Amino acid sequence: MTFDHISVIGFAGPGMDTDTTPLRDPTPDSTPERLIARIAESRDRDAYALLFTRFAPKLKAFVMGQGLSAQEAEDLAQDAMLNVWRKAHLFDPAKATAVTWIYSIARNLRIDAARKAKRVRDLPDDLWQGEGEKPADQEMIDHQSAQSISVLIGALPPDQQTVLKMSFYEDLSHGDIAKALSLPLGTVKSRLRLALARLKTGLSAPGGRA
Amino acid sequence: MTHSARVHPPEDLLWDYHRGRLSPGMRLTVRTHTDLCPQCRSELRLFDAIGGALLEDVEGVAMSDNALDLALARIERPEEPESSATVTHPGFLDGFDLPESLKAADIPGRYWVAPGVWMAPVRFDEDSRGTKTYLMFVKKGMVMPEHTHRGREITLMLKGTFNDQNGSYGRGDFVLCDETIQHSPAVSADEDCLCLVAQEGLILPKTWLGKLLQPFARI
Repeated sequence: MTFDHISVIGFAGPGMDTDTTPLRDPTPDSTPERLIARIAESRDRDAYALLFTRFAPKLKAFVMGQGLSAQEAEDLAQDAMLNVWRKAHLFDPAKATAVTWIYSIARNLRIDAARKAKRVRDLPDDLWQGEGEKPADQEMIDHQSAQSISVLIGALPPDQQTVLKMSFYEDLSHGDIAKALSLPLGTVKSRLRLALARLKTGLSAPGGRA
Repeated sequence: MTHSARVHPPEDLLWDYHRGRLSPGMRLTVRTHTDLCPQCRSELRLFDAIGGALLEDVEGVAMSDNALDLALARIERPEEPESSATVTHPGFLDGFDLPESLKAADIPGRYWVAPGVWMAPVRFDEDSRGTKTYLMFVKKGMVMPEHTHRGREITLMLKGTFNDQNGSYGRGDFVLCDETIQHSPAVSADEDCLCLVAQEGLILPKTWLGKLLQPFARI
């Protein structure tokens, strides 16, 4: 692996033929954002297959971590990706990265599935779609990249990272986290508050956006 | 939408909204607040952006062998038209500037609980036992005697203002009351008041509010 790493750095530029892992080192035409655009523009099935191969396993892993069975998680990943196909025309890369948009689709599906037994009908909570935009929304996290948020999360103090990751990966309430870590609720809340504040500051700082 | 909300849902409630764990009534109040509050919408977008970044970081779990074939087959099937459920939208709401969340809510009718005061329950398809959710209209200048609350109660202001010992609340404000809060809210003398209320815990009889609300002059 060391050799591959060196060879990539040394000789292979983006888009070169030697680039055999286009999904990990995307050429301009196969970034997730571009793949979604290709689906929207021309119902591009190859683009969909690439997107599916890249994100369905992650979606499956993510919701399994939140407590779904392997089968439920597989179904949810399938449904989420189907929604990506159907809603591709609504994706606006100026507002969200592809992975953020995909996460929000999966989150809404997961919530709907949990309520399905109760025959609920609710408004889709699509914060990221092209319509209904209000300028004031634009203030903070436009154009942010998942990459830069990931870096910012990695730079948080470990205590803050822990509560943040437990929130998302394990789908826990603040009270659940307090119990799990034997911490006062106020401590959990303040750690999360500090973490969110740092992320916001980082995203609005020059260079904090991609 | 010139007025921006000043009073916001507590962070744990916003988080539970994001992950879909609020009761229907609570969810509707938070949703309605975010319709009116760019700041909280922005907070929810931050949650999605964090979730996206964490999703990107996850090591995938292999899908089953035929998953891609299935996915490619499913996209060829015609999309079922989304069932547009019929929502009752009675005429008495016509004059109000309602956020999208409430335009889509099922509000079959209203009843008058006192002169100048009506309530219009919100109906949910799912089990909403334990929470009572309604729109409440109060004519300008009414005041409630000092009282406290049994369980959590959210008042989401849609029109007009009310004041109590803790401050003044206007459109979009998310006012959370519980057992610890004792107050005697008064509706502004200048403007009628419309709010969305979600009450957890004790369900009070229909006439309770009417008995409490009195024209300001008579107090």
